[in-house]
Amino acid sequence: MAEPVIDIGNLTRRFGATTALNGVSLSLPRGAVYGLVGANGAGKTTLIKHILGLLQAQSGSVRIFGLDPVAEPVAVLSRIGYLSEENDLPGWMRVGELLRYSRAFYRTWDDRYAEELREAFSLDPSAKIKDLSKGQKSRAGLIAALAYRPELLVLDEPSSGLDPIVRRDILGAVMRTIADEGRTVLFSSHLLDEVEQVADHVTMIRHGNIVMSAPLEDIKRSHSDKSLDEIFVSLVGARE
Amino acid sequence: MRTPVAAFGWEFFHRHRGYVAGLIGYLLILGLIKPLYLGPDATVSFDPPDGFAAFAVVPFTVTFFYLIGVFTFGLTGDLAARQSIYPPRLFTLPIGTAALAGWPMLYGCSVMVALWMAATLLARWPWGVELPWLWPGLLAAVVLAWIQVFTWMPYGLRGIRVIAAVAVLIALDAVVFTAIELEWPEGALIAVLAPQLPVAYACAYAAVARARRGSVPDWSMSRVRPGGSRTLPPFRSIAAAQLWFEWRRHGWTLPALVALVAPFELSVLFISGYGSHAFVAKVFGAVMLTPILMAAFAAAAVSKANPFAREVYGVSPFTAAKPLTTAQIIAAKLRMAAISTVAAWVVVLAFTAIGFMWSGADHVLIEWADRFARRVGTVRAAVPVLLVLAGLITVTWTMLVQGLFIGLTGRQWIVRTIGMITLVVVMMIGPAIEWILDLPDADRWIWDGILFVPIALVVVKMALAVWVAARLVRSRLVSDRVLVTGAAAWAATVLALHIVLVWWVDMSYIPPHLLALIAVLAVPLVRVAAAPIALDWNRHR
Repeated sequence: MAEPVIDIGNLTRRFGATTALNGVSLSLPRGAVYGLVGANGAGKTTLIKHILGLLQAQSGSVRIFGLDPVAEPVAVLSRIGYLSEENDLPGWMRVGELLRYSRAFYRTWDDRYAEELREAFSLDPSAKIKDLSKGQKSRAGLIAALAYRPELLVLDEPSSGLDPIVRRDILGAVMRTIADEGRTVLFSSHLLDEVEQVADHVTMIRHGNIVMSAPLEDIKRSHSDKSLDEIFVSLVGARE
Repeated sequence: MRTPVAAFGWEFFHRHRGYVAGLIGYLLILGLIKPLYLGPDATVSFDPPDGFAAFAVVPFTVTFFYLIGVFTFGLTGDLAARQSIYPPRLFTLPIGTAALAGWPMLYGCSVMVALWMAATLLARWPWGVELPWLWPGLLAAVVLAWIQVFTWMPYGLRGIRVIAAVAVLIALDAVVFTAIELEWPEGALIAVLAPQLPVAYACAYAAVARARRGSVPDWSMSRVRPGGSRTLPPFRSIAAAQLWFEWRRHGWTLPALVALVAPFELSVLFISGYGSHAFVAKVFGAVMLTPILMAAFAAAAVSKANPFAREVYGVSPFTAAKPLTTAQIIAAKLRMAAISTVAAWVVVLAFTAIGFMWSGADHVLIEWADRFARRVGTVRAAVPVLLVLAGLITVTWTMLVQGLFIGLTGRQWIVRTIGMITLVVVMMIGPAIEWILDLPDADRWIWDGILFVPIALVVVKMALAVWVAARLVRSRLVSDRVLVTGAAAWAATVLALHIVLVWWVDMSYIPPHLLALIAVLAVPLVRVAAAPIALDWNRHR
């Protein structure tokens, strides 16, 4: 069996008295779209930050492409595309400067693809990031995360900044293409209908615990073809 | 909370209650020192010898700037930004713009005046030191009010806020210092200062109103250069890209600050009646120290890992998730600091040359240089001049980067603790030296133990260097090759400095091993080398 892209074993993370992740184990094989769902504060962003090596495992292990992202950040991060929930692109940069700067870090950067995406997202290269709307900032960040065709694309709540048309028509298509090319997408969201449309595999997280992780089809089959929304409510509601 | 007044008051005082409690405690201790420790009959002086100036001036200066930050909402804002620093969350409150501008100004001015009056009360009783009752507090209030205006006003260009604020405050200071020089009575000073408060309030009202309706002028050329950035060639390397990033973030700050301050300093050369050699020497010294002083301010921005995010000391995911090593990020910061330093010195040397030549004061410098060269020989005269210049440039660079190992930890408690320790050391160092010099046989004791202090400092520095090197090796933050090359470069610099010092200094007074110790202490090592460890701790929390 091929080595999983993400291999997390018994990961626990505490912030003071709060347990953000409680013995989380997750193994995601290559070539699919994985949806990470959960309410606000469930631990989705904390988990993603461990995957990127921005947080160090207090106990347990995190392996991305078989590597420790904290010990070998360059080897891991050069293969990951990441769109942050925080929208923290430097406001003083122009869109063109952002792409020129980001390009320097990735050998696989594809100028033509970056230009295609920029045009599809209707972004002016001379516009300053700080003058863009929230959605436009997310689009700029998305181009910077996609243009080098990363092996693993990690999107932290991408829907929160994108308008419904971009979300449905472009983001969905991009994710599908990536997965079809044998690459992997992990995206977190609390919009369950959107996850249902795009994801092959769904992981539900609640209070730092994984309550369910399975292919979407299996989940729906085992819950009498209910919507993901209903399943989530039934699972979370039953445990509250 | 029933009224907006109470809500504003609660926000200001609740958030900063720790500082307020510390300040009140400090004032009480300061007040009780005389009756309980020095004795009621002791005479207290602010001036040396045995002066208490450091205990009053340092904490009050820090408090003044802290209060400026609190009441302008500027502690977390980007002062160079075009947008108003006034928190947008307050614009949605159901209160008028007059209240939004008025209450922070009223609270701030009241606190400034009250603090000064409390200090005056303590100084007069029980210390018995005569201080003016009102005008310094009123001056602080007026300065605060004008800074509030400048921080809350939106501007058309980035950086204009700083330039406008500095220009107006220098003008205000000039009026007040002239009044002091001419020994105006307190009433006259109050008459000059007090009317400025309503004017400042009117300006603050206009600034907040403008910010509240989202009116931010744009005088930049961004709209007339569409697609300009597309024509730039790609970066040659990751290092080049990261250097560009760091330069654009912080690189211009130091040269700009120097370009702003140096002309004001040099302008006094043109004032008639100030033509003495001593005055020219003071101006020259002040201008030469300007890059170092300004570097201390610029360093505060450089040390912040993430000035454009909510948590200024944390590493932004934008940077942290880039495939570059922590050492590469630090290397870019160090290079940027070096370029910024050189740019600042080019600016200051150019301004100095122009200022001295235009004012005619250059003949004083030429005369000194001639006299010095005749006395020790041209080569021996040139070397110390170049050495001092190199030293000043190195100190400027060091000022920019020596705080990296603190700010890049990302832990606010570390930044605050080290800031507090530094403050205490600054306060204590003068009185401590005075106390040592007052000891019987102090001269003999100092000469007998002259080597002990530098030896102890060198031992501490080298022990810390070994610890830092071990951490760097263990964490694999830098390669063995980089570590060895860095250590060799540092040792070579120390050796070169030692050779120059031995060649130049009169060896009949100072032994060569003392010069070796001075060379070891002079060349930066530990704080710069610790920066990658700090950033790594921040990047992978």
